[in-house]
Amino acid sequence: MPRVSHSSNATPLSLCQLPAGAVGRVCELIGDIQFCQRVREMGFGESTFVTKVSGTGTILCQVNGTRIALSHGAAKNILVEQLARR
Amino acid sequence: MALPTHISAPSANSTSRVPVYALVGNPNCGKSTLFNALTGLKQKVGNYPGVTVEKKVGTTYSQHGQPITVIDLPGAYSLAARSPDEAVTRDVLLGRRSDTAQPDRILCIVDATNLERNLYLVHQILDLGRPVILVLNMMDLAAQAGLRLRLNRLEHELGIPVIACEAANGKGIIELRLAMSRTDLPLSRHAWNVPAPIASAVTELQASLIAHDRKAPLIARAEALLLLTDQDSVRVAGSTPLDPRTAEILRGWEKRWEGEGTDWAGTLVNSRYEAIGRLAAEVVLPSATTGPTTSDRIDAVVTHPVWGWLVLGLVMLLLFLSIFTLAEYPMNWIDGRVAALANWVKAGMAPGDLRDLITDGAIAGVGGVLIFLPQILILFFFIGLLESTGYMARAAFIMDRLMSRVGLNGKSFIPLLSSYACAIPGIMATRTIEDPKDRLVTILVAPLMSCSARLPVYLLMIAALVPGDRVPLLTKVGIMLLMYALGTVGAFGFAWLFKRTLLKGAPPLMIMELPPYRLPLFRDVALHMVERAGLFLRRAGTVILGISIVLWFLAAYPKAPADATPTQQLAQSFAGRAGHLLEPVIRPLGFDWQIGIGLITSFAAREVFVSTMGVVFNAESSDNDTKPLRQAMLAARWPDGRMLFTPLTCITLMIFYVFAMQCMSTIAVVKRETNGWKWPVFQTVYMTGTAWVLSLIVYQAGRGLGF
Repeated sequence: MPRVSHSSNATPLSLCQLPAGAVGRVCELIGDIQFCQRVREMGFGESTFVTKVSGTGTILCQVNGTRIALSHGAAKNILVEQLARR
Repeated sequence: MALPTHISAPSANSTSRVPVYALVGNPNCGKSTLFNALTGLKQKVGNYPGVTVEKKVGTTYSQHGQPITVIDLPGAYSLAARSPDEAVTRDVLLGRRSDTAQPDRILCIVDATNLERNLYLVHQILDLGRPVILVLNMMDLAAQAGLRLRLNRLEHELGIPVIACEAANGKGIIELRLAMSRTDLPLSRHAWNVPAPIASAVTELQASLIAHDRKAPLIARAEALLLLTDQDSVRVAGSTPLDPRTAEILRGWEKRWEGEGTDWAGTLVNSRYEAIGRLAAEVVLPSATTGPTTSDRIDAVVTHPVWGWLVLGLVMLLLFLSIFTLAEYPMNWIDGRVAALANWVKAGMAPGDLRDLITDGAIAGVGGVLIFLPQILILFFFIGLLESTGYMARAAFIMDRLMSRVGLNGKSFIPLLSSYACAIPGIMATRTIEDPKDRLVTILVAPLMSCSARLPVYLLMIAALVPGDRVPLLTKVGIMLLMYALGTVGAFGFAWLFKRTLLKGAPPLMIMELPPYRLPLFRDVALHMVERAGLFLRRAGTVILGISIVLWFLAAYPKAPADATPTQQLAQSFAGRAGHLLEPVIRPLGFDWQIGIGLITSFAAREVFVSTMGVVFNAESSDNDTKPLRQAMLAARWPDGRMLFTPLTCITLMIFYVFAMQCMSTIAVVKRETNGWKWPVFQTVYMTGTAWVLSLIVYQAGRGLGF
C-alpha cells in the first residue's frame, strides 16, 4: 500500500470522483442497505484505505491487496476522503 | 512441511457412519481445486431440490482408508446470503435444508494472501459451534507477496487445527487428510463480544430459536446473529421457514432500532472486522516489499480502456475460431458414426415401424445432440481456462460498461457468450448472477444469441440465396455475420426493454473481486469440462430424444400407401397436415406449408430444418454438401408458379430463425431454471412473436420495393 498521511481534505468524494492513482479512506456508505452490508463484508467498510486504480465508468480499485471492480452505480455509493500522498 | 502439533493418530473407537465434511470458502480461494485434490474423480454433481444450485458431493479417504464424505458448498463471502448459491451454503451449514443433513464438520478454506477478508466468513462459521479445520491455501503466493504468517499463533488464538496448503501443487493435502481423520477435533475457543446495543436482541432471538424452532443453543446463537445481518433473508426452496414467534421478535427489534436510528447490521459487521483485525495483527507480519505485482502489471494492459478491448477481442476471436473450426472434425466423425450405427441397425432388422423408430427417431435424435458435444466441450474448455487463469473476471469488468447501458452488469457477459455455442450452457451459467431480475433478463435474452444449431440453417439459406460459384466468399461471410449481429443487437435491445418495463430494477450495483492471475490447472479445467458436458448430455439428451420420437411419429403417421415416396408420406402425415394448418399464419411471411413443416420439426433442434427440407423436397444431401437440396429448393414453386425460395424469402427465413424460439431443450432448461412455466411460455411468445412481426415487415417491405 502506498504511504499516506492521515490528514485529509474535508469534503467527501464518491469513489467515482476520486482521481485514478489516488488513495482515499472510506468515510461513508450510502444507498441500499444490503449493498452497504456486502461492501462491508468484503472488507470495504468505513475507515478502509482504498487505492483507485482506474476507471470512470466501471471502477477498478485496490483494497487490502485485493483488486475489486465496481460498477459506476456501486462506486457512487462509496464516499471517501482523499488522502494526500507524502 | 512440518506436521502441525495437534495432528495425532485417530483413536480406535471411530464411529461406523461416514463422517460428512462441508467445504466452504470465499469465491476464488481455491475451493474447487482443493475439492478436486481431495476427491479426484469420486464426485457426484446433482441439484439441491427446488433450487438451481449445484450440489457437489465427493468421497475422500482417511489415513486408514475409511471413506469421508465432502460436500463442496458454493463459494460465499458471508452467511448473510445475497444469491441463491450463498443461501444454499448458509442453509446447509445451519441445518435448515431437509434434503441435506447438517454436516458433522466444516473445512474452511481461506486465501492466505488475503487473510483478513477471508476470516470474516470463518468468524461467522466458528459461531456455529461445529468442529472446524482451517485450511490456509495459496501459501506459495503469500510467500511471494512477502507475507509471513504465524500459523501456530492463529491455531492458538482460534483453538482449531490450521493447515498450510498449496492445493494447486498438492502440498498440504496429506496433513489435511490426517487432520480430517481425527475423531477428536476440538471446538473453537474463539469468542467475541456481541456489541452491546444488540446483545439483548441476540439473547432473546436465541431463546426463541431454541424454544420454538428447536435449534441447538450454539446454532441458535449463530442464527440469531445472522438474522440481524440478513434482513432480506434470501429464502430458497427447501429452507425451513422461521417460526412466527421468532419472526415477530425479529420484527419488533428491527422496528425499535429503526426508531432509534441504530444501524444494527453495520454495527455487527464492523464489530466482527474489529475482532478479525486484532487477530490478523497478531498473525500476519506485513510485507516489506512494495511495488506492482505481476498481476498488477498484466492488469495494466488487460484492463486498459483500449488494450483491454483488443485483448478481449482476440480472446473471443480465438474462442469462435476454435468452436467453428476445431470442432468440425470430431463433429463430422460423430455424424459418420451415428449414420453408420443407423445403417447397421437398418441392415440387421426387418423393415418396419420399430426399425424406423430406432433409426429415424432414437438414433437420429441422440445423434442430433451428440453432434454438438465437441463445440460444447471446446466452449467449456475455454471458459474453464479463462476462469482458472483469472481472466474471466477481467472480461466481465471490460464488458460491464457496455452491459450497464442496457441495464445489465458484467456478470451477464459469460452466459451471453456461451449462448453463441448453445443457449443451454449459457442459461445454466446465469446462476452466478446475484440479482434475480438481472438473472431472469439474461435468461430471457440468451437464446437470441445465434447458437450453433442455427448455423446449418443460415448456411443452407445463404447457399440458396447466393450460389457459391458466382458470389465471393466475403459476401456469404458478411451475410452470416449480419445474422449474428442481428441476434446480438436483438438480445441487447430486449434486455434494455425488459429492464425498463417488465423487470424494472435499480441500476445494477456490481461489486466483483478480480483474483490474481494464475497458471491454469488443466486437471481442474478438464474435470469442469467433463462435468458440464455430462450435464448437457443428460439434460438436453433426454428431452431431444423424447421430442425426436414424438416428431418421428408425427412425420410417420398416418401411413401413406406402400408405394408412396417419402415426400408424399411426409405431405400427408400429421406434420404435413400441421404444415397446411400453419400456412395461413406464415403465408404473409412468404412461407408455404412445406417450410411450415420445417418450422415445426425445428423444435427438436433448429438444424433439423435442413434434414426436413431434404425429405420435403426429396433431395439427398448433408449439412456439408447442400447442393442437391439447394437445387431442389430453387426448383420449388407456389401453386401459381411463382418461385418459393426467392432471395427475399431466404432472408426472411433467416431473420425468422434469428428471433424465433424453436428449441424444446432450451424451453425445458428455462422452465427448470425459473421453477415454472410462466417465463418459458413468455419467452417463447415474445421471441416467436418478434420473429413473426420482423419477418412480416421485411417480407412485405421487400415485396413493396419490388424484390
